[in-house]
Amino acid sequence: MDGIAWAGSAMAAAQTRLDIATGNLANVSSGGFEPLVAHGTLSAQGASITAERSGRHGALRPTGRDLDWAIAGNGAFVVRDRNGTLSRTRDGAFARNRDGSLSDSLGRTLVRTELSRGSVVRRGFLETSGADAISEMIDVVWAQRSFESAQKAVSAIDASRQRAADAARVK
Amino acid sequence: MERALFIAAGGMAAQQQNLDTIAANLANAEVAGFKGSVRRFAALAAPGESLGTVALGENVVLTQGKLTKGGGPCDLAIDGPGFFAVDDPRGGVAYVRGGAFSRSADGGLRDERGLRLQNITVPNGALSMTIAEDGTIRATFAGGARTIGTLKVYDFPAPDRLRAIGGTLFERTPAAGMPRAVESGRPNGPAIRFGMLEQSNVSIVDAMMQILSAQRAYEANAKGVQAADEMLRIANNLQRG
Repeated sequence: MDGIAWAGSAMAAAQTRLDIATGNLANVSSGGFEPLVAHGTLSAQGASITAERSGRHGALRPTGRDLDWAIAGNGAFVVRDRNGTLSRTRDGAFARNRDGSLSDSLGRTLVRTELSRGSVVRRGFLETSGADAISEMIDVVWAQRSFESAQKAVSAIDASRQRAADAARVK
Repeated sequence: MERALFIAAGGMAAQQQNLDTIAANLANAEVAGFKGSVRRFAALAAPGESLGTVALGENVVLTQGKLTKGGGPCDLAIDGPGFFAVDDPRGGVAYVRGGAFSRSADGGLRDERGLRLQNITVPNGALSMTIAEDGTIRATFAGGARTIGTLKVYDFPAPDRLRAIGGTLFERTPAAGMPRAVESGRPNGPAIRFGMLEQSNVSIVDAMMQILSAQRAYEANAKGVQAADEMLRIANNLQRG
């Protein structure tokens, strides 16, 4: 790999990091949201960034509503959508249905609650988003700056090659 | 960057809707009987990547408001779950949590907007009236007092699914189920409070906090848009001349 390819991979990595940070930022108001974290690796193919689960939970916010449930600790609400697909969520803003069952804000029916040892469900609370605007903002700036530096490197290598080509032409 | 641009723009749009909801709550924070709404958000996600956020619909929050003494002739409130049925101005039935009612010429009890409580007619000669916790309406006449009817409280299998139709009115939706009359004045049930008004359940302090955080979240997403835009500009400058 030459210099331009290395700097190019750094630019692509910065772009992925920006995607992850904006994705988290967009969800700072989504209840029970678990942000993704950027995980960087360096290989013979250059620098790359992948998104990984952070396992970060939001704070519990009191709402006083009976059917707002938050999990203190690890665990999830298992919900079933219309097609029968089960999924896990930590957004416990439930509403009662006509038939007495509970469904979450996406209309999925609550099937059961899976809690790890020591975790409890707190009624009258909601879990806020696990994304934190400050650290995500820092990531946005980081991505932008590293993209800029990589671009400078590409331009510098490009300029020196240009000079080399010009010098060869004069001779 | 294209993706980041659209994710951040989607975040801004979601916060905009959030602000609309909070502003509506705040505007009605002093309206007796008003129930605040919350807007919920969901992450759009595929395994291992985030695709932004989406604002879901508004959900009404039916928590109890504080009961305060009203100054009107027939102020009504409910302590506990349930609704009173009134004539919907568009026809049919609407549901309210209470209001400042007064007697109208046709014998009905109407609130400030002229909405009439269903199934109640106060006879002409009545001098005064009271409504007990269980809904029994007693009127005093020149010759003594007697019971003239019962005020019913209705509840729904899924009251969270009622639709707010402006002011403090709610209308039934298929998802809310059929209304059923509930007995009031029993332990653990609703109680009618005559002479009281239910304040809005919107806390101004909470709403202000929500506005601040929505505004900051909007700004943060706007910065995300700017950063993506700036990076696109830088990428375009790679090729000079």
